[in-house]
Amino acid sequence: MYDLPLLTLVTFLPLAGAIVIAFLPRERLAWIRWTALGTALAAWAVSLYLLTGFDANQSGFQFGEEVSWVPAFGIKYKLGVDGISLALVVLTTTLTWVSILASFGPIKERVKEYMISFLLLEVGMVGVFLALDMFLFYIFWELVLIPMYLIIGIWGGANRIYATIKFVLYTLVGSLLMLVAILALAYSYQAVTGTWENAFDYLTLVSFGFDPTLQFFAFGAFFLAFAIKVPMFPFHTWLPDAHVEAPTAGSVILAGVLLKLGGYGLLRFNVPLFPQAAVDWAPLIIVLSLIAIVYGAIVALVQPDLKKLVAYSSVSHMGFVTLGIFVFTEQGLHGAVFQMIAHGIITGALFLLVGVVYERTHDRTIAKMGGLAGVVPVYAALFGFFVLASLALPGLAGFIGEFLVIVAAFDYFPVVAAIAALAMMLGAAYLLWMYQRVIFGDLTDFLRGLGHHLTDMNRVEVATLVPLVVLAVGFGIFPGLLLELWQVPVDDFLARVGSSLVAAR
Amino acid sequence: MIGIDANTLLALLPPVGVALLAMLVVIVDLARPDRDRLLIVLATGGLALLMALTVVIGPFAGIGLLASPQEVFGGAYVRDSLTALLDLLMMSIALLTILFGPDYLRPRGLPAAEFAAMLLFAITGAMLIGGARDLLVLFLALELLVLPGYLLAGYAKRDGLSTEGAVKYFLLGSFSSAIFLFGLVLTFGYSGTTNISEVAATVTAAIGAGGVGGLAPGLLMGLALLTTGAAFKIAAVPFHYWTPDAYQGSPTPVTGYLSVGPKVAAFALILRLFVDALGGVKADWTPFIVVLAAVTMTLGNLVALSQDNIKRMLAYSSIAHTGYILVGLAAYGAAPVGSAAEAAGLQSLLFYSVAYSFMNLGAFACVAALQRRPGVTSQIATFAGLAQRSPLLAWLMLLFLLSLVGIPPLAGFWAKWYVIQAALQVGGWLTLLAVLAVLNAAAAAFYYLRVAVYMFMRDAPETAPPITLGGPTRAGLVIAAVVTLFVWVPPFTTIVIDVAQQAAQALL
Repeated sequence: MYDLPLLTLVTFLPLAGAIVIAFLPRERLAWIRWTALGTALAAWAVSLYLLTGFDANQSGFQFGEEVSWVPAFGIKYKLGVDGISLALVVLTTTLTWVSILASFGPIKERVKEYMISFLLLEVGMVGVFLALDMFLFYIFWELVLIPMYLIIGIWGGANRIYATIKFVLYTLVGSLLMLVAILALAYSYQAVTGTWENAFDYLTLVSFGFDPTLQFFAFGAFFLAFAIKVPMFPFHTWLPDAHVEAPTAGSVILAGVLLKLGGYGLLRFNVPLFPQAAVDWAPLIIVLSLIAIVYGAIVALVQPDLKKLVAYSSVSHMGFVTLGIFVFTEQGLHGAVFQMIAHGIITGALFLLVGVVYERTHDRTIAKMGGLAGVVPVYAALFGFFVLASLALPGLAGFIGEFLVIVAAFDYFPVVAAIAALAMMLGAAYLLWMYQRVIFGDLTDFLRGLGHHLTDMNRVEVATLVPLVVLAVGFGIFPGLLLELWQVPVDDFLARVGSSLVAAR
Repeated sequence: MIGIDANTLLALLPPVGVALLAMLVVIVDLARPDRDRLLIVLATGGLALLMALTVVIGPFAGIGLLASPQEVFGGAYVRDSLTALLDLLMMSIALLTILFGPDYLRPRGLPAAEFAAMLLFAITGAMLIGGARDLLVLFLALELLVLPGYLLAGYAKRDGLSTEGAVKYFLLGSFSSAIFLFGLVLTFGYSGTTNISEVAATVTAAIGAGGVGGLAPGLLMGLALLTTGAAFKIAAVPFHYWTPDAYQGSPTPVTGYLSVGPKVAAFALILRLFVDALGGVKADWTPFIVVLAAVTMTLGNLVALSQDNIKRMLAYSSIAHTGYILVGLAAYGAAPVGSAAEAAGLQSLLFYSVAYSFMNLGAFACVAALQRRPGVTSQIATFAGLAQRSPLLAWLMLLFLLSLVGIPPLAGFWAKWYVIQAALQVGGWLTLLAVLAVLNAAAAAFYYLRVAVYMFMRDAPETAPPITLGGPTRAGLVIAAVVTLFVWVPPFTTIVIDVAQQAAQALL
């Protein structure tokens, strides 16, 4: 047994930091910034420590914590971690400190509120990945919403208010219906067993086996909440707005972690809780995923704005995640989870890089850029690296996930794989074309007009990207590091959905 | 002869104490005029003492001087857990309103003493409703509740809007009271009694003989009129037209009070009348409540979306919240007799009332604090840049707004949670009502967050003067915020929900 409640620690450490910051005088920018960074680094350290103590061969959830919270309904404060959630937690803690560090320069107004929002955001995100009680999960899920609302709305671009309200309303509609579904599950459980004990307990509900009609509708409600977050076509329209208006670090977290909440939700809740319904819904979801993959890539091709281009590329890349989950094969699942991690690293880095150029030019229009290679070589090199990673160059992390998903899709239905592979080519097209327009050619008049303001990346900016480079290369060359981590949960997942699958086919 | 023993005195002590406190406030004000601070201390201290006494008296399971429900005056008034809970809630509302008042009233040259006194009289009425078991007591208590309310609405008598709002409130309020009274007369005429349990027996017996058709047309008419009167008082759609004008015109602390005090009292009346007296025929009034709940929350929210005046917006939002509370009542009504869902419905109604009172009062207190300087309008635009002008006020307002949206783990979330779970427990049509409620909550997020947008995401005009908060306002805001924020902490949530449960059981 572990004496120290490590999961609570990693979840609520940022809250402690936020409380400390709340009491710091607002003029002391350095204190506020370093407290925030220090807290995020501490949470990161705890998450890495979890990684060292985690036994990947053991089935079930580890580091479990359980305290009764609302006994009348059997609601518990219950946390636990398996390979999938652990990987996502480490991704979250990493990207959080990177984002906070990346905000040191750009965020000059209301730094105190900003850092508090960011740390609260981390509490919500980590909590979502660790919660093993449906109710607790919902609380964390909603907790993510408010800080992000503030981050986009206060520190965002010109059209931020429209974007942030749209983000909140989309998410809220989905999540509130999910709340009804969560309650319906608990009632259904209580009606059969006659007790409220464990009525919200994830592990109990997963092995309960709900009535098919309830499964169908509850799956729909959960799916809506998660599909909006992923976001799947046709629920994606909030994403480009939110991304474009969010401050750089907000975009990093949005793409790097928030979208993963949706993927994680599908993987952790939708399919295991409703295996029967999942099999029934799968064809529809696979079609929607394909549309997202292709449509996101085509739309990205014509975007005039750098950030919008990366945002639509996210729609396309996240399509691989949903596709991978709903083909229900080992490769597919491995690919889906891997794609989540890789996309978090790579797209997070791309948003950081777009932010770097925006800091200097206050513009993101691709047409105004050109010839950056000659002026800012370090930037050009790093940007090039992540563009290649994003278009799934073999040897880098982006490749593994998409490759595994396509292999799985081929197994499922070759045409699906063909379409997805075609979209990978489109991905190469829009990314390379964008890179060519921005980096190569002659320096445009617009950029020349900036004169000495157009400096290369400074040390802090490089420092934010170096860890991401290391991860992108490391996981590209040694994917086994990650795949082994979640082999056991993937097997469990398949075992759970397997019987329904056999019955359906 | 009615014997007055110790238990009778104990049972009557809270409402009588509040009435005495009101008189004391008037007398002290006469003896020592213009000592607002003294009066506030007196009124709030007195209320705190009476609240402590109410807890001591009980009856709550296991604690309290009264071990069991105490009927007094031949069954005209009862002190059970429900009465005790409502007493505590009403006194909290009065306490907070008295704390929020002076900051707003003093700069406008309005006396705080009469404000406190009238409020206390109104609260006495509300508390009597909570324990009324007789139609006449119910009506008298109702009038005692609303008459000071009219005066308070027109408290800023040199302000045209205030007078207009008060006149509208008075006319429609009297109108609805008359309807209610007429219904009461018919009910009395056909059942031959004013005692609620005897009315219940008469109605149940008549229904048992042959469904609703078994009721005499006059009695049926009486019940319909009673329902209409009650719907007016809780401001359910389509009986809500007085609300926006009365809320907009009244001085802001009064608006805060009007949005919770009379509403919770009217729900108390509904509990005593429809659950206590007419619970036996609930199958007949439930469809009406279901429709009323659906229409009320949807229309309230939709109209709130387009409001530019914060007080009108909160007025429509309070209509929407009436709708959510009605879902709890509908769950009680639709649940099979004697089932757990029946209690869950009432419990959720009570819990919602508690949570709503604190968060809505808090929101109105923030509005009032912003308007402390005379001349500040009620336009939502006045919130622009509040986060920079007064971070504390902005964050508190955000807290109350998020709670009104229903974001966990705030009080408003738990309130919706209990209502929705009660509805789902019943199932059937109520599931759809629950879905409608959450969709409404999502739509409502838009207009609540619009205020947050102004506070946090727009800049204040250059000329905006600084905002200062008076001591009593600060104290009141802290109380409201603590309840809103921490209602989920285990011992606390258990206490509130346990008391609500006992109160619900008292009715069944």
